[in-house]
Amino acid sequence: MPSASDTRSSTAPDDTTGPGGAGRPAGAGPWRGRLTTGRLIRLGAFLVCAALLLSFPSMAPNPYILSAGVVVLSYACTATAWNFMGGFTGYVSLGHAAFFGLGAYSTALLIRDLELSPFVAWLLGGVVVLVVTIPVGVAALRVRGASFVIVSISFVLITLLVFQGWDAFTGGSNGLVVPRPFPELLRPEHHRVFFYLFAALLGVMLLAWWAIDRSQFGMGLKAVREDEDKAQALGVPTRNYKLAAYLISGTFTGLAGGMYALWFGDLDPIFQFSIMLGAYMVLMALLGGVRHLFGPLLGALIVGSALEYFKMEFGDTQLHLVATALLLALVVLFMPDGIIPAARDLVRRFGPQQSSIREMTAAELLERNREAAAEAAARTAGGTAAGGTAGDGDRTDDGGTDGAGAAGSGKEEER
Amino acid sequence: MNTALLFQSLVLGVLLGGLYALLAAGLTLYFGVMRVVMIAHSAFLILAAYIAWYFNQQTGWDPLFSLLITVPLFFGIGVGMQRLLITRLRPATLTMMSVLLTFAIALFIEGMIGFVWSGTQRRIQLPYSGDSINFLGASVAVVKLMAFALAALSLALLYLLMKKSRFGQALRATIQHKEAAQLVGIRTDRVAGLGFGLGLATAAIGGTALSLDATIYPSLHWHWIGPLMAIIVVGGLGSIPGTAIAAMVLGIGQSLLQVPLGTTWAQTLFYVALFATLMLRPQGFFGGRLAQRF
Repeated sequence: MPSASDTRSSTAPDDTTGPGGAGRPAGAGPWRGRLTTGRLIRLGAFLVCAALLLSFPSMAPNPYILSAGVVVLSYACTATAWNFMGGFTGYVSLGHAAFFGLGAYSTALLIRDLELSPFVAWLLGGVVVLVVTIPVGVAALRVRGASFVIVSISFVLITLLVFQGWDAFTGGSNGLVVPRPFPELLRPEHHRVFFYLFAALLGVMLLAWWAIDRSQFGMGLKAVREDEDKAQALGVPTRNYKLAAYLISGTFTGLAGGMYALWFGDLDPIFQFSIMLGAYMVLMALLGGVRHLFGPLLGALIVGSALEYFKMEFGDTQLHLVATALLLALVVLFMPDGIIPAARDLVRRFGPQQSSIREMTAAELLERNREAAAEAAARTAGGTAAGGTAGDGDRTDDGGTDGAGAAGSGKEEER
Repeated sequence: MNTALLFQSLVLGVLLGGLYALLAAGLTLYFGVMRVVMIAHSAFLILAAYIAWYFNQQTGWDPLFSLLITVPLFFGIGVGMQRLLITRLRPATLTMMSVLLTFAIALFIEGMIGFVWSGTQRRIQLPYSGDSINFLGASVAVVKLMAFALAALSLALLYLLMKKSRFGQALRATIQHKEAAQLVGIRTDRVAGLGFGLGLATAAIGGTALSLDATIYPSLHWHWIGPLMAIIVVGGLGSIPGTAIAAMVLGIGQSLLQVPLGTTWAQTLFYVALFATLMLRPQGFFGGRLAQRF
């Protein structure tokens, strides 16, 4: 609606904001001004948040907190990567941990066996994940809904089996040590460097998500989410689009995994191919809001910090499973759209009210519309007289049609 | 591989397949009545096994008697879960969100088992644990035979209930076409709740059967859910005979492959079968329109 009202001339009555008749007693001019202040606020908030995020390493009181920050940021990367598939197409994958593990292990193995330099190995690791994802995606995307989830879980279980069983190559349950990329750096410095590397990766992902969100490709993906059959009937190449989204999502997850391998330096199939990691990604994205750019990041900040706190306070007990389970169930049952839409609704509720009852009398409205019509007529020299009369005719009806009538006059003025 | 060994693993495969078939039938029931993939099924399986173990620890009686507690209890939990949780989800996103919800339930159960009974591995010691019967040259452990008998008996009961009783008829009608079932006067919401309870009762029976023979620990359910879900996809979602056949075939296959490959790699059979099914027949080998009817 706001975009529609933007194009209108400033003389149009404000009732044109919608046929629902939620009239705001303000002209289009102030409305447009509010939009730009809104944008300014948003931009300012974004800059403040980004600055806070980037200054975290210098504010962190000790290396432990800094390393926890790196972990949270790696969660944010995986959740955002997950959202390329889950958010756009609505296909919930519980098995994205498989891509994370594959990225981590292929980076590590490329360094170990081919003695590549760490960041070349990291990029090649992303390519390996991409290549693996193609057949998996082709197979998994032949089914929808429940079967897709089953396949995604099976994929993480099968990779866990393979990487545990093939211990001659992967080290199996003994783990795999990744050589450190910056051997000269001390621990805290190492954390700091990787904090910025993860932040850069996250930035690239957010930019890509933002670009896709505004593109025709993104529109097609969202059409798949809303109604796949109708999208297909309208000519959206659903299979290729879904596959492309799956590949992007899997590759980014793999890159996050590779980065994690370089940072953490010690891999174990149990942790890399853990079904819990996949569940965390889904939980974070859902909690923040899958339809929003920063949803997964927000979810990761909340869930990731909570997980780290739990680990520090209670150690690795079974309690964090229970806490995760309860949080996931609450989100699914009561907030499936996430925090961002919920918060927005709350702001709307306590912010400027959009009352359904019109706050001016029919006589006042008549007077205002007449003035507006006269002004418009004076400006465009008689061209819009028809619009004015159309509005007059409608105004004799009850309140409900007033908005529609005014909207009609507004449209005619545009022509 | 000599013939004796082959025959031995074949028999063990049939016994394992029977248990798989019972559990997969439960999963199929949930999917049939609500289009819900119940990830928590195997978590309830392990919970039932733990209850059987605890029952045996406390009373010293045979763990089979714990069925008198677990079956009604799980039936009630199943009905309650459907009525209180699953129906709260939005119909448009029911399939995806129910997966997440049941996943959360599975995690909750795993965490609570670990919290209450600790992560230690448990095993029931019975006077007949070590006994085995010679069956045409193959030696079969009595406990495995009992587990199979329990599974086969429950499957037969389930079959009779579905085919012969009025409730079974209503349940099948709900699975086949919900709206049409409503039109002929079936209260499908109620039937769906009872169907859920019935599905969870199979987990209680399967868990007790499992506890006779297996070492249990809280995270064991991940080893079960993968194969079970592969079975229901291979068999065709919603088809009980299809899942039973797939369970038998894959159970026997796993048992046969264990000899040359070892247990870890034999498990990959399920996933290979799953991906092969997706490439060849995404609706499953016995799925599709016909399989939606029994």
